[in-house]
Amino acid sequence: MGEENKRSPIARDLDAYAEFLRSESCRPVAEGGREYGEGPLLRMKLTDTILKLCQANSLWPMTFGIACCAIEMMGTGMARFDISRYGSEVFRPSPRQSDLMIVAGTVNKKLAPVLLTLYEQMPSPKWVIALGNCAISGGPFKVKENYNVIEGADKLIPVDVYVPGCPPRPEGLIEGILKVQEKITGIRHPLPQNRHPKSPLKKVKGLRVK
Amino acid sequence: MDKIIKDFKRYFIDQGFDAIETDHERRGFHLEVVLDVNQVRKFAETAYELGFYLVFVAGLHVRPDEENDNGNSGLEVVYQFARYDRPYRVKARASVPKNLNISSISDIYHGADWHERETRDLFGVIFDGHPNLKPLLLSEEDVNFHPLLKEEAKLKTLHEVSWSPETPKSDPDKPERKPKDSLTQ
Amino acid sequence: MLESEYQEQNRFFLNMGPQHPSTHGVLLIVLEMNGEYVLDPQPVLGFIHRMHEKMGESRPCPGFMPNTARMDYVCALPYNHGYVSLIERKAGIEVPRRAEYIRVITSELNRIASHLLWLGAYLLDLGAFTPILYGFDDREHILDILESVTGSRLTYCYYRFGGVYQDIDDKFVEATRAFIKRLRKRYVIYEKLVTQNIIFIKRTENIGIVSPDMALRYGITGPNLRGSGVAYDVRKNEPYSVYPEFDFEIPVGEQGDCLDRYMVRVREIEQSLRIIEQALDRLPDGPVRSKVPKTIKLSPGDCNFAVEAARGELSYYLVGDGTSTPYRLKVRVPSYSNLSCLPELGRGILLPDLVSILGSFDLVIPEMDR
Repeated sequence: MGEENKRSPIARDLDAYAEFLRSESCRPVAEGGREYGEGPLLRMKLTDTILKLCQANSLWPMTFGIACCAIEMMGTGMARFDISRYGSEVFRPSPRQSDLMIVAGTVNKKLAPVLLTLYEQMPSPKWVIALGNCAISGGPFKVKENYNVIEGADKLIPVDVYVPGCPPRPEGLIEGILKVQEKITGIRHPLPQNRHPKSPLKKVKGLRVK
Repeated sequence: MDKIIKDFKRYFIDQGFDAIETDHERRGFHLEVVLDVNQVRKFAETAYELGFYLVFVAGLHVRPDEENDNGNSGLEVVYQFARYDRPYRVKARASVPKNLNISSISDIYHGADWHERETRDLFGVIFDGHPNLKPLLLSEEDVNFHPLLKEEAKLKTLHEVSWSPETPKSDPDKPERKPKDSLTQ
Repeated sequence: MLESEYQEQNRFFLNMGPQHPSTHGVLLIVLEMNGEYVLDPQPVLGFIHRMHEKMGESRPCPGFMPNTARMDYVCALPYNHGYVSLIERKAGIEVPRRAEYIRVITSELNRIASHLLWLGAYLLDLGAFTPILYGFDDREHILDILESVTGSRLTYCYYRFGGVYQDIDDKFVEATRAFIKRLRKRYVIYEKLVTQNIIFIKRTENIGIVSPDMALRYGITGPNLRGSGVAYDVRKNEPYSVYPEFDFEIPVGEQGDCLDRYMVRVREIEQSLRIIEQALDRLPDGPVRSKVPKTIKLSPGDCNFAVEAARGELSYYLVGDGTSTPYRLKVRVPSYSNLSCLPELGRGILLPDLVSILGSFDLVIPEMDR
């Protein structure tokens, strides 16, 4: 692809470094697994549903606020946008006590081992939100002369939900959390305030809009 | 030492430095000094006695001048000093010789400690006498990687990036500046 | 056990960061501890080094504008201001008066927002969970006002060479005046909740004393310097834009401890409100953007421009070579010099005092690493 040739050789080195770090870490990361081991002996649908509902409604985020998106993450936790109504009240700084990692900011060559260590320290089951353009793909720093920025957190850890924006609005982060909840339980949060607003495109004939 | 100095340019010239007054409105600083490699420490001591604070220490990569065989490596170190009590900015420039060594001013101005580490990281200039020249901004394994050095094709000589009186925006009514030869030393 | 052996047993190394609950960013401080006392704090930077200076050299000068906002994202408009003023000084571009007034109003609003965020974050470090909610509430009002005219909440890219991007309307003026009235009424809350709180005073008084001589040696600027009694503000010392037309004071402290730095910032909020009021009263009419050529050629030579950001003196240094791409762009950020005094300041203090000192310095790590 033409894009590969436009990037500097150092950026290709960074990709190789990210691959190396990802393969060095423990097996669940390399295989992308965040289920618990082999699975339980007995699996009943009702307990599964209840367990998943409990997990989805009390996701405790870990503060991994690196750069600008961290301020929007803080703003989401404050009184105006209030993330605690979705269960994520306590932002735990310790990875051992959290199950959602919000990567908010640019991942650097120096920061990559730190990110991986924190991810490994989190107990399963765990989910990851990549907040902001830098965590999705390097953002405004994915340039030809890049020598330091790893282009996307998903080169290192498996990411569940991507929230675009530079920085994304707090409403965007809340939508990201609702999407993680939908990913866990299979259904979206049922209360009316969280339904998508009616799209004006619905009036267009032949266009399938949810 | 509390010296009431009316004319900093006269004071610096008396101490033996090559100081030129510049137009603050067009260039942002009041005095431009061209230093020799051995004069750097003496200049820093003079500035400290006069009460200047260190704004930054930066590097600059230009194409070395092959005609004047000065043994320059093409790297320049730019210092900037300013004052707390009245508006006066001084920019000092020193060319780094081929062995990339220049004396450190981190024992006179302790803030230069980190600025010099960063300049070494980004350009490769080695500061003699610096207590701790480990990488600051780049990772430990990138100790030999100097990202801000320019490629051969993009280098320009110091003359091409220096201020000269023939720049089109100069005001014909202003007094004649010093000839540009002194800026390329 | 011998006394010296007992001492040896208490020595250990502690890593503070790069991920820690304070909101400064990714900073690692390697602490050599003796029990609860810090012997030698050594900051390690570089975890968010995003190559801004390299990007400044690789693209024509308008392309660096988004970078200016991302260096210090909490107070991005003074960074914008410094960069556009630098290119305007270099290329000789005139700015209309209305645009200058709008620049001053928006920069000062951003400064207030930055100080409110700092206040909340500092008290969160010290353990108080309530002031950050109040601070963020007031800050959201400012963000709404600025969003209506710039389009973004955090990383503004509002100024252009020769003026600003979009004009302000009456709704903006009304909303700003209403905000000024509201914030003045809210001072009472902060006063009672924080400034007169005995726990806060005990945690910040006589801690982290920065002397004027230490400030000179390290190049400390901004409220950290003004807390030590030196009245240095770039807006008064080397005035730029239309600041000479406004009447405002520079608050200074006496001792240079954390409480003085806190009081300086709180009083600066009031001074910023004064500037905004005067600017709104005298807002002239006219265009907000002057005509500039499509490609701005930077004449050979170097140029410098210094502005007062929320954290201190911000200086841009540009070396031009005749093309429209800068040959070298150096950004001197205030937090870099402010933090470099930590190894000297933090010797022999208690660990919670170190947290208090770091908070009172108001650091933003991405601007340090650029």
